[in-house]
Amino acid sequence: MNSSVTVRVRDAHVYYRVYEDPLPGLKKIFAQRQIRRRYRTVRAVRGVNLDLHESETLGLIGANGAGKTTLLSAMTGLLPLESGSILGRSRPSLLGVSSALRPALSGRRNILIGGLALGFSHAEIESRIDEIIDFSGLRDAIDRPMRTYSSGMRARLHFSIATARIPEILLIDEALAVGDEEFRHRSAQRIDEITAAAGSVVLGTHVMSEIERHCDRVAWLEGGVLKALGDPGEVVAAYLAAVPRSGSG
Amino acid sequence: MSGSDQHLHDLTRPPSAAAYLAEAWRRREFAVLVPAQDLRAQNMSTVLGQFWHIVNPALLVGVYFLIFGVVIDTSRGVENFLGFLIIGVVLFHLTQRVVQDAAVCISRNLGLIRSVQFPRILLPAAAVNGQTAAFLPALLLALISVLATGERPTLRWLVLPAVLAAQFMFNLGAALVVARIGALIADLQQLLPHFFRLVFYASGVIFSVEAFVSSPGWRRAFALNPVYDVLSCARWCLLGEPVDVWTVAGLLVWSIVLPVIGFRVFLRSEQRLGA
Repeated sequence: MNSSVTVRVRDAHVYYRVYEDPLPGLKKIFAQRQIRRRYRTVRAVRGVNLDLHESETLGLIGANGAGKTTLLSAMTGLLPLESGSILGRSRPSLLGVSSALRPALSGRRNILIGGLALGFSHAEIESRIDEIIDFSGLRDAIDRPMRTYSSGMRARLHFSIATARIPEILLIDEALAVGDEEFRHRSAQRIDEITAAAGSVVLGTHVMSEIERHCDRVAWLEGGVLKALGDPGEVVAAYLAAVPRSGSG
Repeated sequence: MSGSDQHLHDLTRPPSAAAYLAEAWRRREFAVLVPAQDLRAQNMSTVLGQFWHIVNPALLVGVYFLIFGVVIDTSRGVENFLGFLIIGVVLFHLTQRVVQDAAVCISRNLGLIRSVQFPRILLPAAAVNGQTAAFLPALLLALISVLATGERPTLRWLVLPAVLAAQFMFNLGAALVVARIGALIADLQQLLPHFFRLVFYASGVIFSVEAFVSSPGWRRAFALNPVYDVLSCARWCLLGEPVDVWTVAGLLVWSIVLPVIGFRVFLRSEQRLGA
């Protein structure tokens, strides 16, 4: 088992600063002698240990604000760690419900820009652009500015860019939920392709049917701490039992 | 724990400066193609389209020439004032536009920064490349104007690429510094136009510092301004205007020191940019 680890998270702590007000204005600087920006430290992820294995799809569940996005961002190197370590075979691709890369530019240009930022060569993007557009299912909208896209269409395009070259490790942050049934089917195929090629997928989601459909194990984050990790059925049941529901007494 | 960690590498620790530069260089296509996209997109909704890249500098030079060549005469001490003016305006605007573009390059790309991990230095580098590419038609216009005003190419013209390369380097350094400050303090955008108005007069864009500033101490102080240094050296190349050793030394020092400072300044906050 040990030899098949693709990502190893050890005692990872991710803190970030939340600024209460934008920047101290002149009034504050002079009247209250407050020069530094006031902030609060949010301990978004606190001491998470996790091994991700080859051919595995790991579900990541937890309430809003539990630290799922922060953990996934740290795993792809977007956020620095306060302490601990995250090791990986290669840099994971992150797929989030982010806005457009460049809202004013067309989907086609966003493919080029996103692809180059991901480290694809221009030639590689050019040779695959038709494939990427077909996979996104957005051929009719591809030359429209991306700000005119719906959230589902943005998710499709992001997914197509991020998986243009099948990544070894793919982290999905609630990106599938906004897509329609057809898109979910296509993305399920991509996830299977990745795990079939001995890669790993982490699926952060609130949709329990997605967990059932894809995941081999499930991690439950609460308040930045890993509350449970293991069999999907058991962890999901424990999670659902812990969620306070209105009306049920 | 077996030897399995051998093929795992650290995903969160910032790379060494050398590794960082190597990675940025590997992805250099980004810093060339993305600004090219932006330039093309810029004038798409206009009637003149891509012609604006040449019409714009022509109008710019025209206005300055009308005011300072015809209405107010500041041409004292300059033989070929139109050539003098065009070189000044075009090169000054290159640095100004690079720096102003760099100030917003982080905030303009937040979507990209928050979803993809890539060397952020590519963003200010793209700003420099984009504005430099947009400047090339203006440079061509400047060279044609200089020829049209009676200058003939001399061996000195061959030095011009070196002068422009030096300007490129300190533009890059300035862009790196400004990109970081601009990402932290949005007020910078409001400040820059005023800063550049000051630089404009401190660079002798529209008048000859030689002829207007009599104190040798002040004249030497002008050499501390890299834009003045570039303008003076370029005018020496194309027009045979005088240039002193301080000016050349100033340009050389700025073009070497500023990129180094800029790289260090930028790298210090690289991981937290846009967060």
